[in-house]
Amino acid sequence: MNKKSQHWTLLAVLLVFSLLLGACGGGVPQDETIKIGAALCLTGIQAPLDEPALKGAQLAVEEINKKGGVLGKQVELINLDCKSDPVVTGNVAIQLIDQGAHAIIAPSDFDFGGPASREAQKAGLVGISPAASSPFYGSAALGDKQFTMSMWNTTMGAAAAQYAREQGWDTAYVVTDDFIQYTKDLGQYFVAHFKTLGGTVLFEESYTQGAGDFSAQLARIKALPEPPDFFYISSYMPDLGLIIRTMREAGITQPIIGGDSYDDPGLFQALGPEYGNDIVFATHTWVSADASPQMAEFLSAYEAKFGGPPEAMWAATGWDVVHVLTGAMEKAGSTDGAAMAKAMEDNTWELLTGNLDWEPADKGHETHKQAAMVSLNGGTPEFIGWLMPESQPAP
Amino acid sequence: MINLEFIINTISLGSLYAMLALGLVIIYGILRLVNFAYGELIMVGGYTLYLLASFSPLPWLFIALLAVLVAMFTSLFTELVAFRPVREKSLTAMLVTSFAVSTLLQNGALLIISPRARAVVLPQIFQTSVMIAGTSVPWRNILTILTSLVMLVLLTLLLRHTVLGIALRAAADNFTMTRMLGVPANTVISAAFAISGIMAGLVSIFWISRSATVTPALGAPPLLVAFVATVIGGMRSLTGAVVGGFVYAIVISLLGVLLPPGLLEFREAFMFVFVIIILLFRPQGLISSKTSVERVG
Repeated sequence: MNKKSQHWTLLAVLLVFSLLLGACGGGVPQDETIKIGAALCLTGIQAPLDEPALKGAQLAVEEINKKGGVLGKQVELINLDCKSDPVVTGNVAIQLIDQGAHAIIAPSDFDFGGPASREAQKAGLVGISPAASSPFYGSAALGDKQFTMSMWNTTMGAAAAQYAREQGWDTAYVVTDDFIQYTKDLGQYFVAHFKTLGGTVLFEESYTQGAGDFSAQLARIKALPEPPDFFYISSYMPDLGLIIRTMREAGITQPIIGGDSYDDPGLFQALGPEYGNDIVFATHTWVSADASPQMAEFLSAYEAKFGGPPEAMWAATGWDVVHVLTGAMEKAGSTDGAAMAKAMEDNTWELLTGNLDWEPADKGHETHKQAAMVSLNGGTPEFIGWLMPESQPAP
Repeated sequence: MINLEFIINTISLGSLYAMLALGLVIIYGILRLVNFAYGELIMVGGYTLYLLASFSPLPWLFIALLAVLVAMFTSLFTELVAFRPVREKSLTAMLVTSFAVSTLLQNGALLIISPRARAVVLPQIFQTSVMIAGTSVPWRNILTILTSLVMLVLLTLLLRHTVLGIALRAAADNFTMTRMLGVPANTVISAAFAISGIMAGLVSIFWISRSATVTPALGAPPLLVAFVATVIGGMRSLTGAVVGGFVYAIVISLLGVLLPPGLLEFREAFMFVFVIIILLFRPQGLISSKTSVERVG
């Protein structure tokens, strides 16, 4: 091909593209379906939470459509990958809103989900995160139409503190990953509540995700005159596996407690029967029939669609989030953001992840929800039961 | 706090970092290229371990060997397909190419396997500790130290006593002159990439056995460590890479135990202040090669 014909080909290609773009942009958005825009992360460090949540959401949409949809219309779920990047998340939300989304599902973390909720708020839409647990995730920081479905870290930290005190444990050694807001918050609320309940924190250790080495921290733990009754570790995968393995390898056998980031089959397998012992964590629910009356229906539908049980509990949060959004549309009788937000505040929601009540917008959309306590022994996780802390630290 | 256990852990970490830095510096020495796809070679080694250990009945030692080989061939392959075509053009082109290779390999793992962390089945020896003078030391740490010692001896023998080794060292000092004297450039460069791949493969075994998980983004932290270690030690010297690896490990571990509690979370910041101080006084790194010249063309 000579230079001249190359130019002509290029021109022709450009022309076709511009025609196609024109065709896309020119259409008037028609509300034939109810569109839920999901800005969930399928890649990067948020993927372990968001990918199963998306599967749960897809399943929920399918089941709802089988039953006739919402407000007489079929529901359509559009997901664009946010790549675990706050800037991309914001842009993805803008694109979803341009495509006519009636509500936005944001990633399960304040740092990564916040930008999507801010865009939803600007467009007057409800934005909701399936499992962001930072107390910042609510109306105070993000706007009066923004929600998280998760218990706040205040509850998650308090549940662990109360559990530890109930076991008669007096001294704790706390390790906090300072890489994201979630791990920092959680460690801080645990420490505050454990002290309120009369426990003693021997030391507050820090770790940074990606550092890839825990030996200095280990030396400090080993140098303690008396070992603590247990460890509270607020970190997440993949380095959470490294921290726990390093400790267990060095012969530290005390119980380890943590939050919902422990809820990852990758962690259970990485620890295995050798090191996956005496670990307890507070999470959103558990995918076994004794966790919620609706769980059996969810599990059978899930197996039918995906050919196996959910990889992780996060799938249930995705299912719930779609049910809350469509439920709010039904109760409000429209897809208007303000009406939906009102319906979400005014009702109690019975979900796979437990019963949920939201405070009104002037109280920050605080969630009232109990924690599911799960233990890991011999490398196998097991549901202990629901726990609602009697009190909790102020956010 | 600075007891025998701490010392063994730090030496083990230093050995790991030294191997990491060696793999990076051997390519830099010859091509003046910081291979940003180096971390992904470790990731490729890690996924080989994961796949073979989970889905094949092969014995673990054989799996480990295969992981090293796969990392080596990936390294050779990237050289052949990505770096060789742009090598004559410019250094910048190669640098950008290394980013492209890195992104490509990472996204390959994302698409083919999963974005989620996968657990690697490890042999019993990586799950056991041994008592030395009253403290329990994981076998893994001892194996890391031994492996790096063996690799250092082998690499020294190769570089000092074989024709290929002499060609590699000559190319690292003055690549243009070496070529003029009749040493084939492709062979020398391929050999450097092969050694780099072998280092990455070995590191992958010990890096991954600490957390027993692999993720597509696994390569970034070791790449950063290798880069900082070579900057400390000297980017043109293999001895410098080893020294840099150990200095990095010792300083970061000491900071971890000596800093007061309130400053612990700024451990990395102190580490980089230390790096800046070294660069102020020895911009060429702690160890510099006396005879090396800038890459020409």
